[in-house]
Amino acid sequence: MLQKSRKITFILAIISAIIGVMLTVQLRSSLHPVHKESRSIAELRTTLQKELEKHKNLLADISKYNQLYYQYETSLSEDESISVMKEELARTRRMAGMVGMEGEGIVIDVVDAHTPAEPVGDGHMPVPVVGDYTIDDEDLRWLVNILFANGAQAVSINGHRLIATTAIRNVGDVIQIDTRTIRAPYEIKALGEPEVLLSALKLEGVEENFQLANKKVLAEKRDKLMISANNETRVIQFMKPVKQKGDS
Amino acid sequence: MWLPLIGLIVGLVVGFLLDWRVPQEYSSYLSIALLAGLDTIFGGIRSFLERTFNVRIFMSGFFFNTLFAAGLAFIGGYLGIDLYLAAIVAFGVRLFNNLAVIRRIVLSKWINQQE
Repeated sequence: MLQKSRKITFILAIISAIIGVMLTVQLRSSLHPVHKESRSIAELRTTLQKELEKHKNLLADISKYNQLYYQYETSLSEDESISVMKEELARTRRMAGMVGMEGEGIVIDVVDAHTPAEPVGDGHMPVPVVGDYTIDDEDLRWLVNILFANGAQAVSINGHRLIATTAIRNVGDVIQIDTRTIRAPYEIKALGEPEVLLSALKLEGVEENFQLANKKVLAEKRDKLMISANNETRVIQFMKPVKQKGDS
Repeated sequence: MWLPLIGLIVGLVVGFLLDWRVPQEYSSYLSIALLAGLDTIFGGIRSFLERTFNVRIFMSGFFFNTLFAAGLAFIGGYLGIDLYLAAIVAFGVRLFNNLAVIRRIVLSKWINQQE
């Protein structure tokens, strides 16, 4: 009898040990759930690629500014500092769109897709014949922002150079850039690394988006592209030069 | 009587040391199995107090109930039926029943002792 009861307690002990393990496992998994990644690999890869590109651009920026800083610091002679300043001024002019620029880049043509009745995609759903869909300011702004975000040095739409203060907006039925009306077909030129810009357009799904508005996006690489200066007259209203002590 | 308690503590310690974690989608199966195990434990205590305790019934009940409960929940997951809810309800009701019986027996024993 005694042996039997000892056996029973032993078995009970083992079972309670099992229960204890189960309890702790359950407690742990409910306190710190195993994080599961729900995004697909392709999506993650796209995100990673985007982030890497951004990272590269930022690093390039940092090294550029570091170099500039170094140049300012080390330019001992007057001549040199003036030349650095001139260089900087030229760079600023370029960025402000006051001078024309030339280099490699891409040209994007947004044209009407000529076959609206033909089914696009899987062929099951007929694409409605679209006459009303047009692209508006937002689409163009989006496109231009993609270009700038991926390192475009200068962008122009239908010959209008975009600068920091440029507005693209709908006025009535037409799109205006600053105060000039532009009409389809839109031609967007961008200076920058063609491969980067083209892949950025693919990544963001520009083509699909414009397809919704029944437009075709034709992007092509150009080795030599000229973008003229911004020729708007700018009215400076609130800016004043700073007078400092020692200024001559 | 102390051995089961020590066993429980050892189990808890081992569980903490092992650092096993169950993915969230399997967590419900483990909880069902845990519930079944607890149910069996309390059933065992009850039968022990009623002097009808049988080791074989207890052991088989523990393992079969846990495995069956987890398995049923798993199959239910595949069929799209929330069978684990049924298991939760059934085991929960039994758990409370067993607890009530245990409480009565312990109370009546205590009162008998006092008189």
